[in-house]
Amino acid sequence: MEEREINISESLKIIQSMVNKTQRQFSDDSFYYIMWGWLVFTASVAHFILLQLNVPQAPIVWLLMPVGGIVSMIYGAKQSKKEKIKTYVGNYMSYLWGAMGMAMLVVLGMAFKIGFDVTYPILILIYGIGTFVSGGLLSFRPLIIGGVICFALSVVSFFAMFQYQLLFIAAAMLASYIIPGHLLKAKFNN
Amino acid sequence: MALKELNPLLHSQLRLAVMSLLAGVKEADFSFLKEETNSTAGNLSVQLQKLKEADYIEIEKSFKNNYPQTTCKMTNKGLSAFNEYVENLKEYLVPKKT
Repeated sequence: MEEREINISESLKIIQSMVNKTQRQFSDDSFYYIMWGWLVFTASVAHFILLQLNVPQAPIVWLLMPVGGIVSMIYGAKQSKKEKIKTYVGNYMSYLWGAMGMAMLVVLGMAFKIGFDVTYPILILIYGIGTFVSGGLLSFRPLIIGGVICFALSVVSFFAMFQYQLLFIAAAMLASYIIPGHLLKAKFNN
Repeated sequence: MALKELNPLLHSQLRLAVMSLLAGVKEADFSFLKEETNSTAGNLSVQLQKLKEADYIEIEKSFKNNYPQTTCKMTNKGLSAFNEYVENLKEYLVPKKT
């Protein structure tokens, strides 16, 4: 492309082709959904099994979460080195997940205050907000559906016993992170 | 009614391409603009400078992994000018009846 005078139809062609190029610039974030999905799924199922076996140290499995945090940070730093543009959607996503992370920490930190029996249902609700809004921003229906399933699972889990709430978390992960995450990855690979 | 004159700063192949790319993103690297517009670094620099002088874009120079990096971002003034250009362009396509 050079610097030269153009006519009206050339103008339109340029605008159209350039706008098309930026519209396709979505980064593949499926890694986060898949990694966090499997991590939380594994921790909640392991916690449930250990509770059934009467292992008192069962909650120790949640130490997997800081590991996930570190992996996410390393992956994020590597990705940002490769990034050539910053999109508005990417910007909204980072604020959304930042808010989600803070909300989860507040709920977990205040669990002794609000009661452990409602902590997990509220967390499922927060997971659902994350995938529902992300699905909207990316126009990716499986994430939106996953979010709706989380809302439903959250309501039901309020009535479940603590140990069974762990299975609701596992189900929420499967429906709103693991399955949509793999579908998102497949979409990018095509 | 006479057709409005198209903004000469935008009515040029490379500058219009750059502005169209920047209109859709928050910010973009020099290398991205160069690849997508298929232009030479020298020519792109000159055109970016013209857009910068008109306050249509902001150019930020920094370092990323020890390599110099140039990031470009459209300003509000640039976005208004771009939108106005597109509006005027429409009039050429469907001229208003006088």
